[in-house]
Amino acid sequence: MAIIVDDKSKVMVQGITGGAGKFHTKNMIEYGTNIVGGVTPGKGGQEVEGVPVYDTVRACVMGENPDVSVVFVPARFAADAVMECLDEGLKRIILVPERIPIHDMLEVRHKARKMEATVVGGNSPGVVSPGKANVGIMPPIAFSEGRVGTVARSGAITYYLADTLTHSGYGETTCVGLGGDPILGSNFEDILKLYDNDPETEAMVMAGEIGGLYEEIASQHMSEIKKPVIAFIAGLYAPPGKRMGHAGAIVEKGMGTAESKVKALSDAGVPIAKKFSDIPKLLEERIGKA
Amino acid sequence: MRLYEYEAKEIFESAKIPVPPRKVARSAEEAKAAAEEIGFPVVVKAQVLVGGRGKAGGVGFADSVEEIEEIASKLLGMKIKDAPVDSVLVEKKVDVDKEVYIGVTIDRFEFKPIVIVSSEGGVDIEEVAEKQPEKIHKLHVEVNEKLKSYQGRLLASSAGLKGKMISKVGGLLQRLYGVFKKYDAKIAEINPLIVSGESIYAADAKLILDDDSLFRHPELEEKGISMRHDVSELTEREKLAQAEGIPYLDLDGNIGMFPGGAGFGIASIDLVKQLGGEPANFMDSGGGPTPERIAKMLDLLVDNPNVVTIFGARFGGISRCDDFAKGVMIFLEAKGTKKPIIMRMTGNKWKEGMEILENAKNEKPELFEKIEVFGIDTPIEEVAKRAVEVAKEETGG
Repeated sequence: MAIIVDDKSKVMVQGITGGAGKFHTKNMIEYGTNIVGGVTPGKGGQEVEGVPVYDTVRACVMGENPDVSVVFVPARFAADAVMECLDEGLKRIILVPERIPIHDMLEVRHKARKMEATVVGGNSPGVVSPGKANVGIMPPIAFSEGRVGTVARSGAITYYLADTLTHSGYGETTCVGLGGDPILGSNFEDILKLYDNDPETEAMVMAGEIGGLYEEIASQHMSEIKKPVIAFIAGLYAPPGKRMGHAGAIVEKGMGTAESKVKALSDAGVPIAKKFSDIPKLLEERIGKA
Repeated sequence: MRLYEYEAKEIFESAKIPVPPRKVARSAEEAKAAAEEIGFPVVVKAQVLVGGRGKAGGVGFADSVEEIEEIASKLLGMKIKDAPVDSVLVEKKVDVDKEVYIGVTIDRFEFKPIVIVSSEGGVDIEEVAEKQPEKIHKLHVEVNEKLKSYQGRLLASSAGLKGKMISKVGGLLQRLYGVFKKYDAKIAEINPLIVSGESIYAADAKLILDDDSLFRHPELEEKGISMRHDVSELTEREKLAQAEGIPYLDLDGNIGMFPGGAGFGIASIDLVKQLGGEPANFMDSGGGPTPERIAKMLDLLVDNPNVVTIFGARFGGISRCDDFAKGVMIFLEAKGTKKPIIMRMTGNKWKEGMEILENAKNEKPELFEKIEVFGIDTPIEEVAKRAVEVAKEETGG
């Protein structure tokens, strides 16, 4: 099983002829991901890494019938790319570009929810289901097939979570990069619910960070999640009022701080891992030894 | 990007939101001329990009030429939350019958625009929200919809407005919502909106735009509004980093942090702190930096006199460890350092990266005296521990 992507996924790459699109298409194929087609307006008829390129999502859907799209177009065109997918009936879309205009993302969220589609990102490193599919930009070295699902705001933290789970022997069912942008397509609880319905996933690790309210929002939905969830929050020692990297990581009054997130999640019964090495210990208490 | 009050007022006025007659002044003489042209009494307001201006004494009133000169000189010489005041806005003082608060922002719980009004205008609205929440009225606007006339009237009525003012302020709310959408704003706020007889005026104006949408607003430059970052005071190194486009912040410690990625940048600060070390900075080196850029980042860290040891970590994803290693080499060959660098590489092309550094070390061992490189088999926490240990040795403790 796994969530969002697996070995049966037929993946389309939007922006396949660009630098990042080409580079990561090659890596995704090397991993064994089934990339069926790409889209770049005006480049229809070309091939990238043996993958046929189409001018429009509609043409790609008619030709290859993809069920997942990964978007590599520049941020300013990202919302348009998602809308195009949604209109052609795709239900799973992964947004790699970062710093997508926030009003665009409000529209994307609105439409995706109406159409019951899962949009992950922007600024997502992708989604990896180890041994099955790697969709996005993540290095395969970190991942191994296993029992735990992860969902994290940051790309590098996604790698370190997988690194920790791989080395401790738990392995991962799927690793989802939720994204670092301020307005995201999916919330933590959206992904946790997918894991809850995935028979292979036994527990979940969610990694949040200062800025935004996604962790506080997730804490309000914990009663809807049946499987054990462990949380890691980055920014416990971040100086207040300073903007750190991610467009979303601005610490605001009261909410959005690491303190507020840790409290909200603890109050909802979620144990907090203070460092990566705490994660296997907390998992052992909940789902047994690796 | 936060706009100055005078810039926001230009935009409001072009959207037919009434603003009192006003003029920007950069000297006491200019302020005097402006006041004479507008006519006394005037209000004089420091133009800064930080909040809390009123409480900090950044607003004054003048009834005469003597007063305007005195107040303008005082304001133009002061700092508000470390931000020097370079200009003041001289504005016609209008009679106040009523002051209300109106604002539009994004509700980050509901992911919808939200319009907020209060009968308690002219004061700190967050304080009102805390102490008298019943005086705050909110209305969500559906994404892709406009604020409708009836919604504007509903809000105006909630804010305690009566008679003709209900439709008048309702219409103004619709126009403010239009500005919010048109300019890709995060916040569009008027506090206070003044009711003066039959007229209404935006006495203050706050407009914060989404930095990531500025590319589609060339009209701002046409209005003389230049693009800038929302930071009041940067340290010298932060300025250097900003000029290179490197997200960087100075912290108080002595371990130079070179972590890769904003999220892990933040997490690595936690990690070093938990292990008893003191980070000297935050840096986001993610997003596939070129070797040249990596060398620049190392320059920045080594040049910081507070830094005694550098902790580097690279998890190659969109970035590549061989590029990272090449960057380290550019830096070492051009500049070199006696400061220890403790780093780990894993992920995309990590073996190639290790090879580059090992070969270079065999050729030029003198460059690698204090450099330790770890690979995938050493957990990141062990490497951080080592960096903290080395930093302690370097400081003799």
